[in-house]
Parts: sequence; C-alpha cells; structure tokens
Amino acid sequence: MLDVLGYIALGATWTIALTLGSAAIGIVLAVPLLGLARSRFRVVRGIYSSIVHVIRGVPTLVWLFLTFFGVGQLGITLTPVAASLLTLSVIATAYMAEIYRGGMQAIPAGQWEAAGALNLGRFATLRDIICPQLFRAVSPSIATQVIGLLKDSALVSTVGVTDLVFRAGVMTQYHAHGLFMFGFAGLIYLLLSIPVAVFSRSIHARITRKYAIA
Amino acid sequence: MEASFVSASSLTKRFGDHVAVDSVDLEVRRGEVISIIGPSGAGKSSFIRCLNLLEVPDQGTLRIGDATTDFGAGRPTAAHVRALRAQTGMVFQSFNLFPHFTALKNVALPQMRVHKRSKAEAEERAMAELTRVGLASKANAYPAECSGGQQQRIAIARALAMDPQLMLFDEPTSGLDPEIGAEILQVMRSLASDDMTMLVVTHEMEFARHVSNQVAVMVDGAIIEQGSPDAIMSNPEHERTRRFLSAVLGR
Repeated sequence: MLDVLGYIALGATWTIALTLGSAAIGIVLAVPLLGLARSRFRVVRGIYSSIVHVIRGVPTLVWLFLTFFGVGQLGITLTPVAASLLTLSVIATAYMAEIYRGGMQAIPAGQWEAAGALNLGRFATLRDIICPQLFRAVSPSIATQVIGLLKDSALVSTVGVTDLVFRAGVMTQYHAHGLFMFGFAGLIYLLLSIPVAVFSRSIHARITRKYAIA
Repeated sequence: MEASFVSASSLTKRFGDHVAVDSVDLEVRRGEVISIIGPSGAGKSSFIRCLNLLEVPDQGTLRIGDATTDFGAGRPTAAHVRALRAQTGMVFQSFNLFPHFTALKNVALPQMRVHKRSKAEAEERAMAELTRVGLASKANAYPAECSGGQQQRIAIARALAMDPQLMLFDEPTSGLDPEIGAEILQVMRSLASDDMTMLVVTHEMEFARHVSNQVAVMVDGAIIEQGSPDAIMSNPEHERTRRFLSAVLGR
C-alpha cells in the first residue's frame, strides 16, 4: 500500500520540475516577446499577435505530439522530458506575454508621462517605474497561470514522462483500483497548487495594502 | 527689452484631422508667470504638453533657453528631447506620483537617475523640497496614504528637485476640492514670488488675475488675445473672451 503511494508520489518530481521549469522560462522569455507586442511598428506587433494566436489556438496536447513525434521525423530526437519542457515553455511564454501585455495596459499613461517629464531615460523608466508596477499588477495572473501549467503538465504522461498521472496509470494497470490511484494523484495536484495560491494571495494582499495598486 | 527665455513660434499639433494647437506663438521671459485660460477643449493642455514634448508638435519651432528644436521633419532626436526636458518641470492634473515609492523616493529617485546625484545628496534635496511644500512629515508615506492635495504638493516638490528653469502646470487644481486647491495655489504663489518662470493652464481666475504677469486666452487651438491680467479680465477686446469670462465668473 505504502509503496504504491510512494511510487505514485515520486511522479511529483517531474510534475514539479516541468511546471516550475516551464514557468520560469516563460516568465523570462515573455519579456522579449512583450517587446514585440509594444513595438512602434505595426508589422512587428502583427508578428507578435500571430505567434501568440498560433501558440494559444492549438491544443497543448497537439503541440506536445508535434514536438515529440513530429520533430522526431525531422531527424532531431527529443527525449520525452525535453519535448515536454520545450512544449510547456513555449506555451507558458505565450500566455505570460499576454499577461504582461494586459498588465502594461493597466499602468496609467500618466506614469510614462511623469517619467518623461522628469527626463528619466527609457531604461530607467522601465527598470524603476514600469517593471515594479507591472510585476505587482500581474502577480495574481501569473500565479493562476502557474497553476494552469501544473495541471497541463499532466499531459506529458502521454509521451512517457513518469509524472504523477503516468505512475498512477502504471499502478492502475498492475493493481486496478483506478479510482484510488488517480484520486491520489489528483490529491497531490491539489496539494501542490495550494502553496502557489497562498503565496500569491499573500504577496498581493501586502502590495494592495501598502501601495493601493489593484 | 530682455530677450525671452521661452519662444514658441507657429507651434501646431494635430490629432488626426483635429487641429488641437493652431500655429501658436508665445514668448515667456525669465521670472514671468503666464496663465493660459480658455474653454475646455481649446487646446491649452495640448499646447503646454508640446513644450516638454509629451506631445510632439507637427510644425513650428520651440526654444527654451538655448535649446532649440524645429518640428515637421521627423521625430525630434533623443538629444533634443532631453535638452528641452532638462529645463522644464511639469505638474499634472492627476499628480502622477509613482505609487510604489514613498514621497521621499518619488522626489529623490529622478535626481539620482537624471542628475546622477548620490542617494544622500538626492534625499537631502528631496527633504528640502518636501519641507518647502510643507510636507516633510509625509516623507515616508506612500502616495496612497496621502490626500490629493498632499500628492499634488509632493508632485511639485518632485519637479522642483530637478532644478527646472520653467515650470509647466497643467490644471494642477482641477482634480481637487476648492479648499484643497487653495493650498496648491498657495505653493504656486510662493514659487512665483521666488521668481520661478511658470506657465499655468488653469480655471482659477483668481490665480490668473492676482499671481500671473500675463494672461493668454486660448480658443480653438489659438491664442486669441494676451495681455496683463487686468486688461484681459476687466476689458477684454475679444467677444469670445468676454463670453468665456462671463461664463466662468458668473456675471
């Protein structure tokens, strides 16, 4: 009994690694993508919307299969973990970029104008004025997105990554009791999402109290 | 006659088909306070925002001190923008303080970034400016913890700490209760008596009359008349000015 639970729980390692890994990559790579979104040139902004639309318009599972099976046909062999990380990261990047874009729109034009009138340069304006406010504005959405990634990471079991779902499946094949095995996996997902939500709520509450930023 | 410190000639700003600022000429001498009055939508704010290039004029020439920029042939260079903004400070209707900084940091940080002052130096100056606007006690408060009037005074301190040669006020009291607006006007009055050069877009006729050296009346993007406050207020030449004044003064 305990070794069954232990076997399934060990899958959390991949679940957590893929979730945090793709979230971190997404949070970073979304910044240059946001640069495209805010370009002065309409063509560049068009490229941004196309990229985001295509990434978000195709189901995650299809992207995963395209990466794992499709890219293999091109002669590049990706391990299940590499294909999964790549897929989840690309998707995280697109979603995070959209979150940033929304956050930027929430920053009043007056903040840019005040910085401009004070003669702050572009870099200082972004670093000191815009980014801190952006981070505060988007932190709840980012947390929601990370929880989404956590759940999406279950898809990687389909290409053979031994995550929670994969291992619950294996145990079901050996011992039956699918209700119990997948129920246990579901419980772990739930437990994993709690710290993200709590962390985000506490940061946000602190920010809102102190700076009155919604 | 002493040469002007600010010289705007034929400044024009269009938004699409709408001509917000229509070939405006204005000269401001050092130490002079000019109030710009006129009905809503007359282009007063657009004009004053052209002076620090928050709006880039489509045509005309602007000189502030020894920085001159001609408009009409592409965007002004970053160096032109910096040179004009280095001489101007602006106070907005909506204050636009940085909400994630304390009052002290709002006033200190721009000095550190733009003038490369040390933190200690910038904070010392920030305290001096906050004291000047009567808010030394709020140095460690965040904007959200300050009233509108206090936020506006912090915004004035922030602009002054950058050593502007020209202060631009864009309806600084319009977002405030009249009583609170009075404390802002008091600060502006004391700046004027310290010989700060000021351009003030305002609906405060008392301020225009008693503090400014000149009043310019703007209608439909153009300055239709300009002169001493007494002349404009008591004996306007223009029929449109008379109508505007009788509406705002209620007589």
